Amino acid sequence: MSGLTIGLLYGATTLAVLFSGIPIAFALGTVATIFMVFFMPHSALDTVAQNVYQEMASITLLTIPLFILKGAAIGKSRAGQDLYAALHAWLHRIPGGLGVAVVLACGLFAAMAGSSPATCSAIGSSGIPEMRRRGYSSGFAAGLVAAGGTLGILLPPSITLILYAVASEQSLGRLFLAGIGPGVLLVALFAAYAMLRHRFEFRRATEIAAKGGPRSPIIEAEHFTMRDRFIALPRVLPFLILLTGVMFALYGGIATPSETAGLGAVLALVLVALVYGAWRGSDLKPIFESTLAESGMLMLIIGMSLFYSYVMSYLHISQGTAEWIVSLNLSRWFLFAAIAVMVVVLGFFLPPVSIILMTAPIILPPLRAAQFDLIWFGIVMSVIMEMGLIHPPVGLNIFVINKIAPDVGLKEIVLGTMPFVGLMMVAIVILCFFPEIATGLPDYFYSKKR
Amino acid sequence: MTHPVVFETGEPTDLPSQGLPGTLQAWLTRVNSLAILLSSIAAGMAGCVMTWEVAGRYFFKIPSDWQDELSIFLLVGATFGSAAWIQARRGHVGIDALQHILPPRADRIRRRLADIVSLAFCLFFTWKCWSLLWEAWEDGQITGTPWGPSLTIPYGLMTFGMTLLTMQIALQVLAPFGRQRGR
Repeated sequence: MSGLTIGLLYGATTLAVLFSGIPIAFALGTVATIFMVFFMPHSALDTVAQNVYQEMASITLLTIPLFILKGAAIGKSRAGQDLYAALHAWLHRIPGGLGVAVVLACGLFAAMAGSSPATCSAIGSSGIPEMRRRGYSSGFAAGLVAAGGTLGILLPPSITLILYAVASEQSLGRLFLAGIGPGVLLVALFAAYAMLRHRFEFRRATEIAAKGGPRSPIIEAEHFTMRDRFIALPRVLPFLILLTGVMFALYGGIATPSETAGLGAVLALVLVALVYGAWRGSDLKPIFESTLAESGMLMLIIGMSLFYSYVMSYLHISQGTAEWIVSLNLSRWFLFAAIAVMVVVLGFFLPPVSIILMTAPIILPPLRAAQFDLIWFGIVMSVIMEMGLIHPPVGLNIFVINKIAPDVGLKEIVLGTMPFVGLMMVAIVILCFFPEIATGLPDYFYSKKR
Repeated sequence: MTHPVVFETGEPTDLPSQGLPGTLQAWLTRVNSLAILLSSIAAGMAGCVMTWEVAGRYFFKIPSDWQDELSIFLLVGATFGSAAWIQARRGHVGIDALQHILPPRADRIRRRLADIVSLAFCLFFTWKCWSLLWEAWEDGQITGTPWGPSLTIPYGLMTFGMTLLTMQIALQVLAPFGRQRGR
């Protein structure tokens, strides 16, 4: 059987098995094992368990459970609500300041917790009701939090970037730094949209009130005294110190990325204990259980995805497909656009973890041949996958918002997220024209370090 | 895709509660509870080991030659040790697109088949884990680092976790024969 036929068969079998509803980890393991039986020496079957262990026993990969533990400790506490409340108190004078506070809180919380749905849940649980109470439309409030939550897979310590670093053999430190510029760009775009949207909703509410209609709370001015503002700070500062401290340890040459994960997890647990008094077994149990529920599921997918990629590589499917793509001599940007569309489509069905590990061996060689900077591409790919988080049919953040604000209809949430999908596309175009937004910071930092 | 809402664990589902499968499930639930406790401790310890690695090297100039390896063992143990507990809650995500298209009866058959295929794979993988563990034990295999701990430690943890996971899926396959608890 030719390599092309085996490759097509591998792809078709994978799709069939995945869509049958078998958990992704077992589905990928099953497909890889079936192809081992038929197309690889039988002795290879004896190495299956060893193969999976060797792929998983990477200290970089195993930082993931620790980053999740850090996120769970912060996510299970009231840190998200406190962060949002403090920012709101300080930014309320800006027109649309409430929306800007939500975006900034999402960005900061995402950088602390490293998880998009956790960010949505933590900031949205107080941010959405408060925005609605203040007269913002429900769809806008939900869309803003859903989009703000996506920053979790772009800002360090993003699990998506950790996996991309492993799959593409790029420096994790560089990738983490590269995510900051585009993260700030997205925060700025979302905040600018929040201000414009506030202006629009404010004007509309003013007109209705002027015509004798009901007076929306969005017209009312808010007041926070200096005392209110300073009272909000003590609970937030320790977490901001944790955020900057961990980054300092990483880039100050004190700790490696894997050590940073452990250090961050321990410090987060200590802070949650000190600030919120969460130190008893009953407080810690949900933190650890939720950590293991997420990390155990993810690590099995990662282990089996790597095993799946190993079989794909042994059968020369990934190399053959990559060579075929290169031989097409596509123009640089057509190649990029084709890959971007493929990632968007895969994002409809698969989590970013699987997309990265399954596609990296195929898409990275042609991108390298087309002289794309793989650090830059990792960031752009993350932004593309962020769109999948707030885009139907299966945007994870949409469902998280639906869970925390069940009275906002699914349709309203989806419509609310659409402008943000557009803003992310704008961000991708900006990143294509100005790649330095992503590559500038790591290039500057590492050239100085050298 | 089925999504667990992150940082929420969900309740056990599709588990048998009567007859022999029910008795076995009750026993396995207790073992899973112990495994998740040990996995939690392992994850917490891994964090502490990493923190000690930084503090030891930075403040006390102590060489860090065993910490990474110990952390890997602890986190591999936590990952596989929690696998059955996660499966009991149907926490291993899959694509559920067909669930919304198929009629209920056909969907039940699809779910049953998906469980059987998962069981077949896990059974095969667990068998290979046991072979690997036996080989490491027989040959006295150690890791290739200066610390050089026995490879039976991580292989044993992986085998233990996979065995529990396979048993859990088997009991979920058998669930219709012992009335279900949960969904």
